[in-house]
Amino acid sequence: MIDTAPAVRKAPGRKAPSGRARRPRRRRTGRRHGPYLLIAPTVVVIAVLMFWPVVQLGIMSFQKVGNRQLRGEPAENVGTANFEAILGDPFFWQTLRQTVLFAIVAVSATLVLGTLTGLLLNRLGRRMSRFVAGGVMVAWATPPVTAAIIFSWLFGTTGGLVNWFLDLLPDALVGGGWSDFNWFASPLPTYTVLTVCVVWQSCPFVAVSVLAGLKSLPGELYEAARVDGAGPWRAFWKITFPLLKPIFMVLVVMSVIWDFKVFTQLFIMAGMANRDAFNLSLYAYSEAFGSLNPKLGMGSAIALVLTAILLVVTAVYVRVMVRQGETE
Amino acid sequence: MKYIKAAAATAALALAAAACGGGSDDSDGAGQSPAQLKVWMMGDGTPEQTEFLEGVEAEFKQKHPNTDVVVKYVPWPQVATTFQKAAAGGEGPDVTELGNTDVQSHIEQGSLADITDRFESWADHDKLNKTALENDRSGGKTYAVPWYGGVRAVWYRKDWFEELNIQPPKNWAELTAAAKKIQDAKKVPGIGAPSDQTNALLSFIWGNGGEVAVKENGKFVGKLDQPQAVEAIEYYTGLVTKEKVAPAKYIGKNELEGPQRDFALGKLGMYIDGSWALKEMKKISDKDADKWGVFPIPAKNGGNAPVMAGGSDLAVWADSKAKDAAFDYITVLNNAKNAKAWADYSGFSSMRSDVSFSNPALAAFTEIARNTKFPPMSAGWGEFEQAKKVLPNAVKAIMQGRPAAEELKKANEQANTLLNP
Repeated sequence: MIDTAPAVRKAPGRKAPSGRARRPRRRRTGRRHGPYLLIAPTVVVIAVLMFWPVVQLGIMSFQKVGNRQLRGEPAENVGTANFEAILGDPFFWQTLRQTVLFAIVAVSATLVLGTLTGLLLNRLGRRMSRFVAGGVMVAWATPPVTAAIIFSWLFGTTGGLVNWFLDLLPDALVGGGWSDFNWFASPLPTYTVLTVCVVWQSCPFVAVSVLAGLKSLPGELYEAARVDGAGPWRAFWKITFPLLKPIFMVLVVMSVIWDFKVFTQLFIMAGMANRDAFNLSLYAYSEAFGSLNPKLGMGSAIALVLTAILLVVTAVYVRVMVRQGETE
Repeated sequence: MKYIKAAAATAALALAAAACGGGSDDSDGAGQSPAQLKVWMMGDGTPEQTEFLEGVEAEFKQKHPNTDVVVKYVPWPQVATTFQKAAAGGEGPDVTELGNTDVQSHIEQGSLADITDRFESWADHDKLNKTALENDRSGGKTYAVPWYGGVRAVWYRKDWFEELNIQPPKNWAELTAAAKKIQDAKKVPGIGAPSDQTNALLSFIWGNGGEVAVKENGKFVGKLDQPQAVEAIEYYTGLVTKEKVAPAKYIGKNELEGPQRDFALGKLGMYIDGSWALKEMKKISDKDADKWGVFPIPAKNGGNAPVMAGGSDLAVWADSKAKDAAFDYITVLNNAKNAKAWADYSGFSSMRSDVSFSNPALAAFTEIARNTKFPPMSAGWGEFEQAKKVLPNAVKAIMQGRPAAEELKKANEQANTLLNP
């Protein structure tokens, strides 16, 4: 701790030539190790809990791992057979397509609704704002399992609130026969419910992040815009969005990652008996843990493909955003 | 680095020493009483079940007074992952209950102890159901003991049948007609035909002389594309698509995700489930409980269709350090007295020929249980039915309008590969 204090205090002066000249005279070891010592505990925890399992996942994806191997028999190396099996299976491409489409729809909806909620929170009076923020945070705090069960009850066939309500509405508006409509029988309705559930839970985070950003913006800019005759739509795109771009960038990347790996909600709503509604996570789970004959190698391979896709998406996106930031 | 290596080596040595020590202490636990005997029971467990097992423990302690029996309940949905953890971590049970369709998988994976000799020297070993015992054997060795079994039948409303003058259906045509009559008169769906209920679907396939797969020259050959199976599955799915006497709302569901609740609430005419359902339905609503009855699943041209003998078996875990005590526990749990007490409480039929239900209401199930059959006894059945859910997904697709012949051809190809792991 003693070593790090001067290092931190030094930072602002780094650009000044005098600062640079003086640097070699400081205790070198302290400056070199201090920051690393500070992050070491975090790195160790992440390494043990994240990196090592990922490494194991990577190894297992090239092996055949079942219960016998779990009991300690050496795992047989199968080379790229697992990946060949997956990539040659049309079912994999179906789950991949569903995963990607869901992510696109859910991320867009989350960001739009979350931003609108954030803007609303910013304009509300103090009391009302707190009230709405409280309500929004309840959705954020609800565990995914609870939310999924609540939504599958809401959309259930016997006594489900949504079907009951749709049935009450005039037939000319929504059509008839809602009382027994099975929301989880085919992929499209299943994903509709899933999207509503996931967006409901994830837009509070976007709302609160956007709100935090809005609070930091200077009010004069908006005053000037209003004087110049800009409406709220224009003010948002010309002032708010450019200034909050870094926040939006982070939110998009995080939402993409979250929505790509949605598992709990779909598992509870559709389960193992509806393979046509599988996404990549459910596909990996059904291979790895679905039966008493686990195929952990296959499951790992699918999970690895999912991870690779996420890394590529994130990398491309960050690159594009950073480039845009540079050119502007 | 040096220190780390040294530490790792020390740790490894210590572990190895400990492992050796543990091994040499009681290599097979012959004739010993361990301090603790771990027993795994499947399902959520109930106060009544715990009370029953305490009685069993008291009896077991007459022979092993110093052994503490620790019972752990494993909920059915977590069974696969719990056994995987047991295999990986070595924290397995001594005695465990197993779903009977999983026994072959466990044997193939080497997680069950060979109990052939102990079983043969057990005085009651010839009292057990022979078909069920066949499922517990592999390569001439015995790995598990049949405990209880459950068969399914069609639950119906006695009062509605009487009022509408319907006789319990004896063949498929009568079943459809009965469902139609109820649907028209009572304004509720006639029968529940969920897509994820293979155990009931099998009765229709078997009741038409069909099969899922049969063993030919040591290999399982799928029979789902044969006319008997296709016709049976077309009948079952046709209840939804053609006759419209079963609602589409159960597509993608199993019998517990709708039909059971709806029947108990009087919102469904008939549905297929086992004797154990009575207890569960009474929990949902016991208003009409005295009006519920059962009749056997009919075969196409009359008579009872063979039913899938679901149920549980008891086995000694391969890693157990006290295999003798573990087997002793099985003999106490499954002696005539305890088997009867368990059957009366649980509503499942005992797999002992000398035990039957005390409750006359469940007598119909004893009759139905005379005609049982097993799905293919393959270690790949778990993959076919649990992980890939081949039949439920084929049935679902057909109910949603896909051609049956094409879907069943695909399912049959999967049977050919998955059932021969």
